[in-house]
Order: sequence, then C-alpha cells, then structure tokens
Amino acid sequence: MGFSIARQQFWQGAKDLLPLASGVVPFGLITGANGVALGMPIEQVIAMTILFYAGSAQLITYQLIQDNAAFFMIFLTSIVINLRFAIYSMALSPLISPLAKRYRFPLAYLLSDQAYALSSMPEKMQQNPTQRLWYYVGAAFNQWFIWVVSVIAGTIIGVRIPEYLSLEFTIPLAFLAMLVSTISNRQLFIVALISGSCAAVAQFLPYNLGFIVAVTSGVLAGLMLSHFITVRGVN
Amino acid sequence: MTNTQLWLLFIAIGLGTFLVRLSFIQLQGNANAFTQRAKHVLMIMPPAILAALCIPAVLFDQRLTSPFFSYQQIAAAIVTVLIARYSSSVFWPVIGGMACLWLLRFLTGH
Repeated sequence: MGFSIARQQFWQGAKDLLPLASGVVPFGLITGANGVALGMPIEQVIAMTILFYAGSAQLITYQLIQDNAAFFMIFLTSIVINLRFAIYSMALSPLISPLAKRYRFPLAYLLSDQAYALSSMPEKMQQNPTQRLWYYVGAAFNQWFIWVVSVIAGTIIGVRIPEYLSLEFTIPLAFLAMLVSTISNRQLFIVALISGSCAAVAQFLPYNLGFIVAVTSGVLAGLMLSHFITVRGVN
Repeated sequence: MTNTQLWLLFIAIGLGTFLVRLSFIQLQGNANAFTQRAKHVLMIMPPAILAALCIPAVLFDQRLTSPFFSYQQIAAAIVTVLIARYSSSVFWPVIGGMACLWLLRFLTGH
C-alpha cells in the first residue's frame, strides 16, 4: 500500500509540473540555441546543461565567456547567482536530509525553482513527509527531463517559437498563481508584499543578489510581525 | 579560453552549484532537530520566495536589454491573480494572463 501511495504522489508531482513547462521549454530552446551560436559543439552544450542544471547561470556564463572574463570571475558569478538554491535546500532539508546518501545526493542535484515551489504549496505542506517526498521526486524529475530535452532540441533545431508570443512570461505568471495560493493570511500577504517590493527595487543589483535581499527582508518582516502579534496578544 | 579550460570551468561550476544545493540538506542530518522558530521561518518562506521570483519579472518587460515598466504585463498579472483566487491549478491562471497579454499587444499594436 505504501508503494501505491508513493507512485500516486510521484505521478501527481510530475503532472502538476506540466503547466509550468510552457515557460520552461522556450527558455530551454533559447539556452540550447545560444550555446551552439557561441560555437560550442552540441555535446559540450548538453554536458554543460547537465552539469549546471541552472538556466540563468548557463546564459550568464555564455555572456561572460564572450566577454573574455577571467575563469575565477565566471565561476564566482555563476555560484552567486545559484545561491538561491541554498534557500531551497534549507526548505527541503526536513524531507531529503534523513535519506541515505545515494538518494540524498541525486535529490539535492534535482532542486529547481519549480520543484521547490510545487512541493511547498499549502496543501502539500499538510501531507506527511513520505507523500511530500514522492511528490517532490515526481515534480523534480519531470522538470529535469523537460529542461534537458528542451535544451537539446534548442541545440538541434534552434528557436522556432516566435518571440512576440513571449512564452517566457508564463514562468513569472505560474509563480504568481502559486503565490496567490500560498497567501492564506494577512501576515503572509505582508511578507509577499515586502519581498516583492524589495525584489523589484533591488533587481538591478549584480549577481541576482536582489533575490536574496528580497527573500531575507520578507522573512524578517514576517518574523517581526508574528513577534508583534504574540506580544500584543492579538491574532 | 581553451577548450580544456572551458570543460574545467563547466565542471567547477557544476560541482559548486551542486554543493550549494546540497548545503543545508547535508548539514541538517535530523529533521526532528528543527526548532519551532525554524519551522516558522519555513512557513513564511514560500510567499517570500515566490514573490521575489515573479514580481520583478511582472513589473518590468525583460525582453529588451534594459528592462522597462510594462502596463500590459501588469494587466496580465492581475487577470492571473483573479483567476488564481478561484482555481487551485496553475494552468488556467496562466492561460488567462497570457490571453490578456496577447490581446493587449494586439490591440495596441506592440
């Protein structure tokens, strides 16, 4: 019985990821096509995609290679851009940390914005850890598969989706729709408001640092707010 | 950069990114060690992260090299929020928002 619940959650996660693919596929096509345009052989672009498993860092690395930036500078920039994964790592550690190394390492590698977001939805947080874990595995695997296939397709066929359709815009819209379902009380609304405003103001900071600044501000504001509520005795 | 250097760079970034992803997962060996405060932080994080991911991309059109404030994208986002309040899936809010964006682009001609 445990196995059928695991399987059901796995497929539910994989299925819930599909609406997000509308944004992931064009981004993957662009990432693949740009790598080839830079003069790299297809197998190198694919290896890079699998090693990084991070689209924005990959695009920025292309740019820095073209700009003849120093080795260490490119390395550092990519790592700083990927620091947001540390936040997801913290959020998902209750699920993944207890596992044996042979599962822990691959599941850590599969962390992505989409897999984190889907498995942190309110209705998922209410499920038991086994259900949540299998749901995460389903979403994370599907995201990886769709990403890698889209990049490979991009290296071969290039970008055939007309740019005026702006399909990449489905990525922020999907996160926005998920944001709406996570806001279940006024405190969380204020957290989102502060984090979102900080992110908009700080987006011109280099290395994607605005993201870290915004999330930290939002969480701190939320903690201060709940402290205030506890002290005042209102809820 | 030579081809060998490129490969070394990609492997270094791949390994570094993996270590960032593994960081807290590796440190937090035991889920029961989580304090109440840490659990509270984890509850606040989803809206903070999702807002930081989507709000800048909604307010500013990223297609050009210098992002500019986009009323069309904001209108599309409002449609998405309205649908998301009544729909538990991600699919329909995104469809509604994109339809709004395409309609506005078509009507205004850019």
